[in-house]
Amino acid sequence: MADADSPSDGGDGSTDSTASTEPATGDAAGEPPTAGAVIVPVEPTSTLRSTIAHVADAAATGGAPAIHLVEIASWRNGDPESDERAAAAERVLERAAAWTAADLDDSEAPGAAAVEVVTAVTGAGDYLFGADDYVRVLAEYAEANDADRVVLDPEYTPVGNTTLLQPLEFALSNTSLSVETAPVDRPTRRERFRTEASAVRLVALFGLSLGFYFLLGDPTYWFDAVTGVATAAVVSITLSRVSLDSNPAIPRTPMRIARGLVYIPVLLFEIFKANVVVARVILDPRLPIEPTMNRMRVIVGSGLPLMTLANSITLTPGTLTVRARDSDLYVHSLLPWAREGLFDGSLERWTRFVYYGRRSARLPTPRERDDVAILQGDDATEELPIAAVDGGEPGSVSGSEPSDDLTDADEVTDR
Amino acid sequence: MSAAALETARVWLVVVLTLLGLFFTLVSMTGVLRLPDVYSRAHTASQADTLGAGFGLAAVALTVGVAGGGFKSVLLLFFIFLTNPTAAHAIARAAFEEGIVPWTEGDDRR
Repeated sequence: MADADSPSDGGDGSTDSTASTEPATGDAAGEPPTAGAVIVPVEPTSTLRSTIAHVADAAATGGAPAIHLVEIASWRNGDPESDERAAAAERVLERAAAWTAADLDDSEAPGAAAVEVVTAVTGAGDYLFGADDYVRVLAEYAEANDADRVVLDPEYTPVGNTTLLQPLEFALSNTSLSVETAPVDRPTRRERFRTEASAVRLVALFGLSLGFYFLLGDPTYWFDAVTGVATAAVVSITLSRVSLDSNPAIPRTPMRIARGLVYIPVLLFEIFKANVVVARVILDPRLPIEPTMNRMRVIVGSGLPLMTLANSITLTPGTLTVRARDSDLYVHSLLPWAREGLFDGSLERWTRFVYYGRRSARLPTPRERDDVAILQGDDATEELPIAAVDGGEPGSVSGSEPSDDLTDADEVTDR
Repeated sequence: MSAAALETARVWLVVVLTLLGLFFTLVSMTGVLRLPDVYSRAHTASQADTLGAGFGLAAVALTVGVAGGGFKSVLLLFFIFLTNPTAAHAIARAAFEEGIVPWTEGDDRR
């Protein structure tokens, strides 16, 4: 990836440690002279242009040595389409860099000529989920590039339809980086940059709902045909942005459906097998259960793949997905047998097979990756992230041990 | 002759499937009554029920046949497989966020 080391004039690099603490939450005009470089996370939004104008202006007057335009990858290298998405990101970055250079040229401030423009794509080595992941990537990048300031585009939404701005700002305020949201006018009506994309989704959802309606009704009967079209139109217009978070694509979507059809009998068999085991335990007079809470870090994309995996886990008796926090699934297991099956990761591999194909399904089990933890009982390797407020009765695990992982516990109650 | 035999087999299959469905629903109910806490009850309330409803719907499909719209019961099963774990997850997640510590061996609560 395109990357520059520290800014060319090394003299500034030594002062940025002192400057980084002073502008606590940077003011709009950028009057405090910041010596470190500025990072701008880039996504193709409607306010990207004005954000860049603001950043270029502030950098020129504030004497920042460099502006880093960073696209945080929402894909993972090696996945299908990662090349195309990386190329699209490069195009956006190129354009953003051109805008920045033009703004710097136009600037009257004396420092403008010294400001370097750097573009980079980062974070493609992992699936990134919530704000914490993005902040980690940003902080690593800032560390490597002597940057101490992050300016956020107010429309910045790296994942799908959800806005991450406030969580991002909050998480960034816990780092040594100073954060600022660019004071640019947001359009009152949200116009999405990828408008052509939602047309595809609209058509796809229309076809899907119409097909379902005709499956239940009779497409040859005129009344059903008219009401079907009307219903599908209402559904697709109101829900196309909600229900689909990526565009259906011709080789990919049918392939996923076909592989999903392969997965269904496998899942049914797993459900049946586990059901028999659990039924035997429930009917056993001694009730030999050993429930524990467990944590497993899974390698599937956020959104639909994660939902498929979490629901598959819940459908399989003996395991119940309690919480999905980024890529960490908190799974309650009824029996050690079910827990071991979970840690073997066959459902995770199947989910990867359905969404990414056979090649991507070959990966070590979560146990081999050391991505699993038991949170309760004698074999517990990690603290249960529940602050024992009223559930902590004598004998319960987190009631007897002091919780040293307060941040995690806080997060649970916060959301 | 063979049509009659096929009919008999179908009826027996319907009976067996219904009984299996009833059995797993019974197990589910027993589990809800016997298991110690909200998490383990959420397990059994959703899970044994999935198979109970699954066998029941299979019996329905076999009874009404393809002409009678048996595929609709397959669709129903599909939706149960989507909504059932989602509901179980919602219950368990609510319990988790309330700070309810899951029951473990040696806990007095039961």
